[in-house]
Amino acid sequence: MPIDELKYPEQLGQFLDSHQYVADAEMLTSLFLLLKLNKPLLLEGPPGVGKTEAALVLSQWLDVPLIRLQCYEGLDVNAAVYEWNYQKQLLGIRMQEGSTMSSQEKEQKIFSEEYLLKRPLLQAISQADKSPVLLVDELDRSDEEFEAFLLELLSAFQITIPELGTIKAKHKPYIILTSNRTRELSDALKRRCLYHWIGYPGLEKEMSIVKKRLPGIEENLLKQVVEYVQSFRQLKLIKTPGISETIDWAESMMALGYREVNSRAMEQTLGAILKTTEDIEQVRLSVGETI
Amino acid sequence: MKKIQAFQTNSLSEGIVSFAQFAREHGLNVGIQETQDALQASCLGILNNKDVFRHALKSLFCTSPEEMMVFDQLFSLYWDTNPIDLQKRKGKVNIQGSVNKKANASLVMLGMGNAQAEPEEDAKNVSGANEAERLKKTDLSLLTILEAEQLEEIARKLCKQMAVRMRRRMKQNRKHGTLYLRKTIRRSIASGGEPIQLFHQMKTPKKQRLIVLLDISGSMDKYSFFLLRFICALRDHFRQLEAFVFSTSLKRITKAMKPQQLERVLKNISENTDHWSGGTRIGECMKQFNDIFGKRMLNGSPTVLILSDGLDTGDADLLGAELQKIHARSKRTIWLNPLKGMKGYQPLAKGMKAALPSVDDFRSAHNLESLLELEKLLMHA
Repeated sequence: MPIDELKYPEQLGQFLDSHQYVADAEMLTSLFLLLKLNKPLLLEGPPGVGKTEAALVLSQWLDVPLIRLQCYEGLDVNAAVYEWNYQKQLLGIRMQEGSTMSSQEKEQKIFSEEYLLKRPLLQAISQADKSPVLLVDELDRSDEEFEAFLLELLSAFQITIPELGTIKAKHKPYIILTSNRTRELSDALKRRCLYHWIGYPGLEKEMSIVKKRLPGIEENLLKQVVEYVQSFRQLKLIKTPGISETIDWAESMMALGYREVNSRAMEQTLGAILKTTEDIEQVRLSVGETI
Repeated sequence: MKKIQAFQTNSLSEGIVSFAQFAREHGLNVGIQETQDALQASCLGILNNKDVFRHALKSLFCTSPEEMMVFDQLFSLYWDTNPIDLQKRKGKVNIQGSVNKKANASLVMLGMGNAQAEPEEDAKNVSGANEAERLKKTDLSLLTILEAEQLEEIARKLCKQMAVRMRRRMKQNRKHGTLYLRKTIRRSIASGGEPIQLFHQMKTPKKQRLIVLLDISGSMDKYSFFLLRFICALRDHFRQLEAFVFSTSLKRITKAMKPQQLERVLKNISENTDHWSGGTRIGECMKQFNDIFGKRMLNGSPTVLILSDGLDTGDADLLGAELQKIHARSKRTIWLNPLKGMKGYQPLAKGMKAALPSVDDFRSAHNLESLLELEKLLMHA
């Protein structure tokens, strides 16, 4: 469905629903504004609640490519925006040797788009026919300096390369940034974005999400699994399980043929949902009494 | 007349603009850009559904989950108020919990948490440059409630600056390292493509790990709060920072060392009374550290930073022995003692005496300035 036909956030909801993504009204409105105002959307929340998934589904809905930039500590312009193709440049210089070009012309040639390697951010703004979805994943992992690079892209949809000049987006990408909030992002960046916080879902919502992903699951098992996960989140665990872990857990129960959560099933599958020995120990202690 | 409710405005645009002002007054960071976006959004035909309208404004105006909570209150107060109800309240607007109001954990930490009196807003505006300088030099245990708040503000700023400075300096050191092709090729054009002059680029040195052990026993609690904040700032520099607090037993707080969670951590620790302001058994805690975490964390020679006054009620020999183990496996062991800032202090406490042979640097940490001086020491850590 083209964007022009999109009038209400609910319309978006129907599609997301059919693509196994459950979003609440707030989330839908944020996505709606992202599309309509063409402002980047910053999604924050704990790991495993579907932040990255949102970008995937959005790109499916729009039927455009998803360009993804995974952030990490030490990510720099060369890996994120562009890099010159040095080997090609060296060859280019050699080939120019016999020519009568002035050195200024030579330089211009060597630093033309032909010799440019496009990295995700530059790719995102140089798409020829359609606006892509750009996902900048786990932005909080990158250095603060990198945030500053992003500012130009986020507000003006352009990137400046010293040798080439400013490249402006022909089709503005739809940008989704995600963060786990391991550090506070700068105000300058936040001000350029829409904001939405995705927390852990409630019982009902989580059940419907798991059901969407695992249509074959039995009602009884589904309810038990989700209830347990919800109670795990109340404990002070080192790594709180997200929705993706819930799905993994339910899936492993199904694969092993369990129809309800009992102590044996727990014993065998706890590794699917809890990822440290300390957590498993703690859950065993607290759950041992109830089973 | 200032409009604080939607019904006082004449048109929708006016209503939105004055709502933006209203939100700004209550601590949300709403500027002209946000207001414009809100107006633009209102033209999208989303007005027939109030919830959508609310969600849209929320998405535009908020930048953190905390703000989102305040926003909901502001929204209903502004848009939902019935003029008839309002007359009874005589137009007084009271918002519970504005964004900048913190749990005042600093006061809890400084042993003043029980004083429920609100700090007076009027007296707060005395801070000038001189005042800030004076506060930086004031012994942390001698601060008043008001000063503690001001100093907290200063500390937050300075610590942030320090973290940025430390990072930057690491990167300027670029003499050796891998070939910097970009610059080399660019300069080689002048010599017809012959790379005569080579340029190098050094990767940012891998940051060393830092392990911090903070004493939160009774004798330290006047200092602990600022020390904790300081550790939080160091976290930006040493991405791999492990933090522990100890008094009678050891507790790992690495996961909780996120700036926005600091207040909660402090509250958590202070509620845990047997930790907080109890006796100190440094030796046993160090043993605990060695037994449980030593193997995992002391490899690769990290720097170990211990913040304690060394007033030990446990076995001093044990402390000496355990600290020696730590010292043997760390690159550098630094002990910060707030008492060292006092005139004529001698490390005579038996715990401190036993520890000193295994300590590389013994420093004071009684005021903000002495903490910030650590920057140089940790730069090369």
